[in-house]
Amino acid sequence: MAWYHEVAASLGALAGRRREEREMSEEVRFHIEMETRRNIEAGLSEAEARRRAVRQFGGVERHKDGVRDERGTSWFYDGWNDVRFAARSLARRAGFTGVATITLALGIGASTTLFGVVKRVLLTPLPYGNPDGIAMVWSAWKGFDQTWLSYDEWEGWKARIPAFADIGLYFDGSVTFDGDAPERVRTATVHANIFPILGVTPALGRGFTAEEDRRGGPRVVILGAGLWQRRFGGDPSVVGRTIQISGQPTTVVGVMGPDFRLPLDFGASGRTEAWFPLATDAQQQGAVPGPDFPKNGASHGYYSVARLSPGATTTTANAQLRTLVAELEKFGYMANVNFHAYTVPISEQITGRVKPVLLVVFGAVVLVMLIACANVAGLLLVRGESRRRELAVRVALGAGSKRLMRLLIAESAVLASVGGAAGVALAALGARLLRANAPAALPRVAETTIDWGVLAFALGASICAALLAGVLPALQATQVAPAGDLKDGSRGATTGRARLRWRQSLVASEVALAVVLVVGAGLMIRSVRNLLAIDAGFRPDGVLTMRLSTPLTWYPDSTRVIAFWDELQRKVAVIPGVKRVGAVRLLPLATEMGDWGLTVQGYTPAPNQGTPGDWQIVTPGYFEAMGLTLREGRFFDARDDMAGSLALIVNRTFVERYMGGRSAIGNQVQINGSDSGKVYTVVGVVNDVHHNTLVTQVKPEFYATLAQFADQPGSTRRSMSLVVRTDGDPAQLVNPVRAAIMQLDKRLPISEVRTMRDIVNSAIAGPRFAMELLGLFGVLALVLSAIGIFGIVSQVVASRSHEFGIRAALGATPRELVALSLRTGVRQALVGLAAGVVIALVVTRAMTTMLQGVTPTDPLTFLGVVVVTGIVAIAASVGPARRAGKTDPARVLGSS
Amino acid sequence: MPDSDRPAQLLAGTLEMLVLKLLTLEPLHGWGLSLRLRDISRDVFDVNQGSLYPALQKMRRMGWIRAEWRPSENNRRARYYSITREGQKQLDAEVAVWERSSGAVNRVLRYALQGG
Repeated sequence: MAWYHEVAASLGALAGRRREEREMSEEVRFHIEMETRRNIEAGLSEAEARRRAVRQFGGVERHKDGVRDERGTSWFYDGWNDVRFAARSLARRAGFTGVATITLALGIGASTTLFGVVKRVLLTPLPYGNPDGIAMVWSAWKGFDQTWLSYDEWEGWKARIPAFADIGLYFDGSVTFDGDAPERVRTATVHANIFPILGVTPALGRGFTAEEDRRGGPRVVILGAGLWQRRFGGDPSVVGRTIQISGQPTTVVGVMGPDFRLPLDFGASGRTEAWFPLATDAQQQGAVPGPDFPKNGASHGYYSVARLSPGATTTTANAQLRTLVAELEKFGYMANVNFHAYTVPISEQITGRVKPVLLVVFGAVVLVMLIACANVAGLLLVRGESRRRELAVRVALGAGSKRLMRLLIAESAVLASVGGAAGVALAALGARLLRANAPAALPRVAETTIDWGVLAFALGASICAALLAGVLPALQATQVAPAGDLKDGSRGATTGRARLRWRQSLVASEVALAVVLVVGAGLMIRSVRNLLAIDAGFRPDGVLTMRLSTPLTWYPDSTRVIAFWDELQRKVAVIPGVKRVGAVRLLPLATEMGDWGLTVQGYTPAPNQGTPGDWQIVTPGYFEAMGLTLREGRFFDARDDMAGSLALIVNRTFVERYMGGRSAIGNQVQINGSDSGKVYTVVGVVNDVHHNTLVTQVKPEFYATLAQFADQPGSTRRSMSLVVRTDGDPAQLVNPVRAAIMQLDKRLPISEVRTMRDIVNSAIAGPRFAMELLGLFGVLALVLSAIGIFGIVSQVVASRSHEFGIRAALGATPRELVALSLRTGVRQALVGLAAGVVIALVVTRAMTTMLQGVTPTDPLTFLGVVVVTGIVAIAASVGPARRAGKTDPARVLGSS
Repeated sequence: MPDSDRPAQLLAGTLEMLVLKLLTLEPLHGWGLSLRLRDISRDVFDVNQGSLYPALQKMRRMGWIRAEWRPSENNRRARYYSITREGQKQLDAEVAVWERSSGAVNRVLRYALQGG
């Protein structure tokens, strides 16, 4: 027999149910009329003819039912009836149904939201053409694990690494879009081939030509979609127009699509929104690996992206780089600093750090889901208990066990569908919250949406929930022996020991899973506390910062720049609430800082090693505003102006490394490079500040004043961050400070308005995100387990009321009865605790890379979790157990 | 009244075989089929005529027969059934089984009647 005929016919019948019914009636009517006519022709009266025809047909409705059965659609209508019946009986028990649906909704909602995040961050391909073929290229040497390339290295890799089909450079910076509302915009200056390497083309206009990417080429720009919307109202005719950027006429040649970001624009520092051609310096060309290759590699200041050759992987590229670097070292290239070069697949570069965090959090949410299912299974078991009479009657009336199973699964299916629908609503809410609040440091999390794939996951999760929560209770309930159950069902006494055991194992597993979650949350809380406890070297609370630029057009020389900052600081200092004000080149924990070669009096570096120092430029007032601690000497003040003697402040590590044992004050330091020749005198020593990250080793650092330091003679730092300290809420100062700036020069663009607290928080965004979610799930798990324990103790108390009555009659005190009932809840909790601790000891290993200053098996955390879970278990048991103490023997025994 | 005068109960499955056989001759509507069944079996198979219809529905579902609405001999609309290739195969199979088993039953009966 061809099965597809059957399926097609059944489905057809299902779809055309009404037509089928009509045609069936017509067919039967035709039959009876023809038969009647035949009988009349045989000589019967009309009435008699019809009567006989109907009789011979034999029960019109019965045969119609027979036809209906044979349509092969009864499974559907039976199933539908089961569902309707289940929905009605659930609606009658609103309390039970409410708890079960909310539980499932929380489980499904939380896991769907997190799946949305995982899908967006890890499963959705990056917005590049063939992202698997793209790699970031990095240099590294002692003290720098992942740093920029030099131009010569790029040339070398381009010519000599066959695994690279193409390789390009870029660096980032910022410019001012001039006009009525000037705006500071993050930019990148890129090789013309960067866009083809990334496999992207502008949405409007075109990319850069080779002609434009040449020294002295035309000034052109490609705009980001956001900037284009914001400043040009999304006007397509802007392509080809010439606009003013930092005082220079620049032609717009293209606009990128809204999804485009450069590979490193997925992090906390935000995205670049305008791109200029690199316009290669002609004199830099021609350095091919060999004896003439520059020995020190010159300035390392470029990011690099490569498109891998067909068939090549990052592994082959890395092997080729190793061989080439070994060759270069023979010529003395970057000697003795353990120089190497390597590639990282683009997806790992962008999402590599967030991946373990997401997987751990997703694992946690799956546990929450399991607990929710166990809880609902437990509730259904109890319900099955109270329905044994009804089920026994059904069995006695001939319902098969398959039929009963179907009825009970229909019930959990109804619960899971309602729970799933509510869960999807919760997930939509969760995704919206995530979009609004996701830390920028977590790439792509803020792009989370609930799409079809995520909805499919929610559907799958609901089906799993229906099966997980429904099958065990259904199996239990179908073990009905009508004789026994109808008999002692009436007494409501001590039946179902086996069923109680099932329920107890469910509760114990819930507690075990909850323990695992709470341990995870505890470890993250400790990590984040450890991170927060790290002394960053400054006091972040009460500090407001914003970035300001003094363009060359309006401030052509150093004197005017210095005068502007002096005046601005004076104006801001008198704003009510402001305690101190200063300015700095780079804010700690918000930016990455490189180093500068120094000559320190009395210090001779080892052969082939320099005397590097991280360089920071400040105005007097910065140290006090940021809250650094002075160890020795003095801070900068009015003395340290352009005319004053050159002064330098260094950090503690600087003193330890380069002046071991000697007093730093009065020591002389020269800054190599274009500023060389000037001799600075150390006037103060401050505590170390963690600049790049909270957890890496602090390097020697020096501070010079804006007025005295110029990296090129006559020039000065154009972009600085204003730092304002207050006793109150720094957010309250935003408008007064803005007003002060506008009053001084309303053309100046203000950007990156942030408090230092925000900056510190975003520096620990990853662990914090994990902590918050794990904490939330941990609490959820505890609540669900508490409901489970509450339920089991209530059930025990209820089912043993007869026994308790006898005990009370025989002289047991209420206290003894309470203790007896408490024991049940606590016993399950203990079993769960023990199992949970063992499981947690194994699985928390997965969190090792996320932890800070605490091991995955931290005894203190585990102890804390045991105590907390124990208290929750006892608290959940106490309520129902106390009811046992109120047992009235007369009433209980009388009622049977 | 002796038992053999009562219309014979149809053996399970035989109704389907008979219907399929009748439909190999020409397409028929339900009433026509019931008439033919009575005529040919000389009213032995005078079952409840209605029980024909669930069987027809089942055979349609199995794909053995096909139904279409056509004007009948007296110009009424009637549902005509015709046999499909699938149904022809089914009929051949059932006839083969029938012949084998009825042959066996006949042999047993003959043997038993001869007194062993």
